[in-house]
Amino acid sequence: MSDLANRKPLPLALLSAVFVLCWLVIAAFPFLWTMWGSFKVEGDFFSRADWMNAITGPVTERQYGSPFTLAGYEGAWVQQEFWRAVVNTAIVTVFVVLISLTLGTLGGYALARSGFRYTFWLLMAALVFRAMPHVTLVSGYLLPFFQLNVWGYLPTTIIVLVAINQPFTLWMLHSFFLSIPKDLDEAAMVDGCTRFQAFRLAIIPVMWPGVVTTGLFSFLLAYNDFTVTSMLLSQENATMIPKINSFLGSTQEEGKVMYAVAAVVSAIVPLFVLILFFQRQIVSGLTAGAVKG
Amino acid sequence: MARLQLKNVNKRWGSFVGVDNFDLDIADQEFLVLLGPSGCGKSTTMRMIAGLEDVTDGEIWLGDRMVNDLEPKDRDISMVFQSYGLYPNLSVYENIRFPLRVRKVPKEKHHEMVMKAVEMVELADFMDRRPAELSGGQRQRVALGRAIVRKPTVFLMDEPLSNLDAKLRVSTRAQIKNLQSKLKTTTVYVTHDQIEAMTLADRVVVMNRGRIQQVGTPTEIYDWPANTFVASFIGSPAMNLVEGRLDGGTFTGDGIRVEGLPTATSGKVTLGFRAEDAEIVPEGGEIAAPMYSIELLGEASMITWRLGGALVSVKTAKDFRAEIGDTVRARIPARICHLFDTATGQRIDTK
Repeated sequence: MSDLANRKPLPLALLSAVFVLCWLVIAAFPFLWTMWGSFKVEGDFFSRADWMNAITGPVTERQYGSPFTLAGYEGAWVQQEFWRAVVNTAIVTVFVVLISLTLGTLGGYALARSGFRYTFWLLMAALVFRAMPHVTLVSGYLLPFFQLNVWGYLPTTIIVLVAINQPFTLWMLHSFFLSIPKDLDEAAMVDGCTRFQAFRLAIIPVMWPGVVTTGLFSFLLAYNDFTVTSMLLSQENATMIPKINSFLGSTQEEGKVMYAVAAVVSAIVPLFVLILFFQRQIVSGLTAGAVKG
Repeated sequence: MARLQLKNVNKRWGSFVGVDNFDLDIADQEFLVLLGPSGCGKSTTMRMIAGLEDVTDGEIWLGDRMVNDLEPKDRDISMVFQSYGLYPNLSVYENIRFPLRVRKVPKEKHHEMVMKAVEMVELADFMDRRPAELSGGQRQRVALGRAIVRKPTVFLMDEPLSNLDAKLRVSTRAQIKNLQSKLKTTTVYVTHDQIEAMTLADRVVVMNRGRIQQVGTPTEIYDWPANTFVASFIGSPAMNLVEGRLDGGTFTGDGIRVEGLPTATSGKVTLGFRAEDAEIVPEGGEIAAPMYSIELLGEASMITWRLGGALVSVKTAKDFRAEIGDTVRARIPARICHLFDTATGQRIDTK
């Protein structure tokens, strides 16, 4: 029966296959191109003579005796100390995710279970703050941060990123909590839990996909942020994205652009791993929140 | 094991009165059913006993403790919810064990206690399944098992059968009755289904609009309704209620005249009688009116008239036949009649 329902005329099947293939190529090509090119020298990857040089790499071969070289990576990681940026990014993302999730789950739970009318207005206010461009917050913060002498440090950036991220986590987790029936908390409380134990033992285990999904979005926000990190962090505390930007900004010196390319690839890889690892939770989390919330 | 007392308990939300002056003494081991239409305050009353809802006014006593300000966990009660309230991430076994775990019952006792509960609710074959893999009836039994796994002083059941299909409801009902008589635990059971109330209860509390209408054994409530609300709520079909005038012991209404009522009052009254107490007669009779409808119930037929705007039914033999519009007569002896004041709805005692 399903065979019959799924059977398509051959031209249509061909057309959709071609379409999907095209889309795949268009979507994946920039990544693959960058990844391939990151093992070349600038003369190849940005060749004026022939774009095919980026693929075959004749200049790279002349310089290093092989069409592939790790020179870009070495320059970025060792000479320019890109690893510092990686550590900074790790610190920023881990803390942003932890703080956002802690505040978000507690706040979202409280808002979802509160019978008061003000919860609606709180959520509306959160939505407004979410809609504001990030740069509005940063420009407001800049002067007090200079005066308090806290500009340039990681904790300052973490606080600002959490502030930007919190409305979103609050909304997302709030709708997840709404989809969990109140009976579950009440059953747990009658069974002998305090309010907080009910939250921890009965609600959070059910909420797990929601927490993972929200955590991932918080992670991406912190990981990919440029506006806040570039304006609030000093050079030595820079995270990966502003660091890559600074490589790109100094093209006068030959080879530096290749540092940026290598750094970009280094920054993308963890994302792939993460998405692959959590894809099931993300999908179930997204749909559960979307349908029931 | 404990006596449960509610002393003038009130629940208000702003100006809205949810429960109005609920005063009741529930004996140890009693099976008490709170019965009423939706929104009558029965669930709110139960939730106040459980501690899930604050008491606005009044006191709740469990045994010799006033529990008004205690958290649900400190009240030593267990509750079965309408939507079961099972933990979806835990197996049946772990669901039933949960109360023992959070109440810090010594670990070595857990298995024995859980197995005993599992045995009682007949779930031994499903212990490793998740709630999502169970049918509605099985889920409800898990919830029951979780409630009985420790020995609470009071069971609370909030419409536990209303999500089950009709057939399962009957068998689960019998199971609950049986469990309660074995465990001898004071039970408060909320339902809007009068058949459940009649079959399960030692005593029934009929509620409407936040007030207690009548408290009594199922028989008392059925045979001796305190007002027109109880009369029209209990029984299937509900009691027939006809408005009319009472004069010197004779009731006269549209198409109905009953003589020899043992009462001295006169004025506007409502006469009530049960469909199965009256009988169809070929001649004479207190009702003589064109038939409105005839329904075949299987074991009997239901004859209905329309008297003064109200539908009045009488049960008769299943082979009785008449056409709609024919004049059909019924005998309503004075001894089966109940009299209510039309204005207040309260019973006028005839004895």
